[in-house]
Amino acid sequence: MWARAAVWRDRVSAGLSAVRRVAGMPDYAAHLEHLRRCHPERPAPTEREYFEQYVAARYGDGPTRCC
Amino acid sequence: MLARLGWLLVALVGAAGWGMLALRRGEAVSAAWLVLAAVGTYLIAFRFYSRFLADRVFGLNDRRATPAERLANGRDYVPTGRWVLFGHHFAAIAGAGPLVGPVLAAQFGYLPGTIWIVFGVVLGGAVQDFIILFGSMRRDGKSLGQMAKEETGPFTGMMAMVAILAIMVILLAVLALVVVNALRDSPWGVFTILCTIPIAILMGFWMKVWRPGRTLEASAFGVALLMLALVGGRYVAESPTLAPLFTHSALTIAYGMIAYGFVASVLPVWMLLCPRDYLSTFMKIGTILLLALGILLVLPPLGMPATTRFIDGTGPVFAGKLFPFAFITIACGAISGFHALVASGTTPKMLTRESDARLIGYGGMLMESFVAVMAMCAAAVLDPGVYFAINVPLATLGGSLETAAETIRTWGFAVTPEQMTALAASVGESTLLSRTGGAPSLAVGMAHIFSGAFGQGLMALWYHFAIMFEALFILTTVDTGTRVGRFMLQELAGHVWEPLARTSWYPSIVLASGLVVAGWGYFLVQGVLDPLGGINSLWPLFGISNQLLASVALCVGTTLLIKAGKARYAWVTLLPLAWVLLVTLTAGWQKVFAADPRLGFLAHAAVTAQQVAHGTMDAARGARLIFNDRVDAVMAVTFMLVTLLVVLASAREWVLVLTRRKPARAQESPFVETAYVG
Repeated sequence: MWARAAVWRDRVSAGLSAVRRVAGMPDYAAHLEHLRRCHPERPAPTEREYFEQYVAARYGDGPTRCC
Repeated sequence: MLARLGWLLVALVGAAGWGMLALRRGEAVSAAWLVLAAVGTYLIAFRFYSRFLADRVFGLNDRRATPAERLANGRDYVPTGRWVLFGHHFAAIAGAGPLVGPVLAAQFGYLPGTIWIVFGVVLGGAVQDFIILFGSMRRDGKSLGQMAKEETGPFTGMMAMVAILAIMVILLAVLALVVVNALRDSPWGVFTILCTIPIAILMGFWMKVWRPGRTLEASAFGVALLMLALVGGRYVAESPTLAPLFTHSALTIAYGMIAYGFVASVLPVWMLLCPRDYLSTFMKIGTILLLALGILLVLPPLGMPATTRFIDGTGPVFAGKLFPFAFITIACGAISGFHALVASGTTPKMLTRESDARLIGYGGMLMESFVAVMAMCAAAVLDPGVYFAINVPLATLGGSLETAAETIRTWGFAVTPEQMTALAASVGESTLLSRTGGAPSLAVGMAHIFSGAFGQGLMALWYHFAIMFEALFILTTVDTGTRVGRFMLQELAGHVWEPLARTSWYPSIVLASGLVVAGWGYFLVQGVLDPLGGINSLWPLFGISNQLLASVALCVGTTLLIKAGKARYAWVTLLPLAWVLLVTLTAGWQKVFAADPRLGFLAHAAVTAQQVAHGTMDAARGARLIFNDRVDAVMAVTFMLVTLLVVLASAREWVLVLTRRKPARAQESPFVETAYVG
């Protein structure tokens, strides 16, 4: 019962993170995971800091949308 | 064996679709055949041609680590699953272009446009997107301008940048004009679109201040509010006290959009631009899926004939013959130079494996082309008489419903004043006459399809839903485009005086934003005041500039191939390059020098000068029109010259490499073995 609930929770969160990526939104959980794996020495940003950095990088330069 | 039989079947179904379109004359054809012909062709092209490109021409290698893997930083370099990235890339390249172009090109009938949309994408547009994505992926996600600079020299790079900036100005003006024509004297539309601004700001504060990072939550809330605004628009339109507050002339709306563009470019991104972007992405994907579903459920018969008499160049929506203007008007649905900017921007930094580039670069563009086919269906389901009543400028139609019906009857299409009045009332508008620009006829077509699929009686709501969806993402293009233009201008100005290049220095931000807004604002106001309806001169100018940018991208692509020692495959980019150049330069030449004043800018200026001399036109107005014609002519000539310079510079490079006077070495990043298994 609980195991199945956990499976569904994982599926929903995977689905939501796919939706975020499609829309070009930041994915905080995935970023924390990336930091833990690749740069464990770096301090993790707060969710707000990450949002700000991500938006700045995404809309920094170059068009993100077409005609 | 079974797989081969399957592909044979796909080929046969596609061929059957084309056969039905070709052979059925004089009776209504179902949109189903259009869809089948297109999808069959896409599948065959994807399976065979894109595979040839991926394996033989580019040599995609999954053992080679992509920039997303090597440079992963959790912000722009993020390895992303291929279907997710497909959605992301598609949402980035799809905009108003593929929707508006086919609707305008429907004046030639549905067939010429459809043939170019489908075959143009398979052999041209998708190849361009794919090769630029591939080239950028092999160069750590460098932009088109940087690649042009590194592979063919700083002059070409500079020219590419000037071309991009100029095309941006025309693009923003013409898209803004589409919105202005849709919202003029429409309190419902104006109210709904105005509401998107506070909704976006609310979302911005939600995501950054109140519940940091909760972007999905904020978007769901935003979409819900947007639907409320859509429904609320009807009450505003029906209220005698509120309606006048939101009823504005085209000129007022144009100035409003210019002011909005300036503010959006100056405000911090999180406050307006980013939340709007999210909102419009969700609306865009949702509506396109809904439109596909609607067309499949209803399979409407096409009211428009396969070809109309206007292929001879006498068309009332825009001037010019089938060749070259069908190929200019379709624009983004078949080949779009603008895509090269996205394919060398965010997307290459997110590819997990090299082979994913095939689905995303080539496949993503096929999807865009399918959107254009659906737009063509939506325009062609309308009665031709209604289509022309909505799309032809007022000056040609003579100002009233009766004269309009009479004019359209002389072209051989039937429409009655009562029919137009009833249609306008059914979508909650006072009039639909001369709403040139594609958005309203597309909205009527979509409303027709949606109400056929999901229940009658909601026609007005569907119409305004379609208008809102188009205006929403056009305004998002206006925001982001103004901002990108501002960055580019600041970079160029930085060569003159260093502090101007600082993208966070307020005086420079305000100055550059103001200049960019003034640039597209000038063309927008010119379009609004144009007696020929604005779209007639601006849309071809946009089509020409966009395809000349495509020529620049195809030149860069050819250079990449030749320098990588793949000269024997260079025809994959050279063939579309030759065709696009032929079409676009012919169209450009005709727009400037044609003797017909409806077509040629200079001929129009001469006729206006005569009218002023004979006293049939007010001198000040005449002087302004003549000035505008000359500016348009100079723009067109500049686009053509810049492109020819890039082509010549590239051709020189190809000859140097092919005759071994220069080493054939592409500037790719060194090979790194991937750490991914499998």
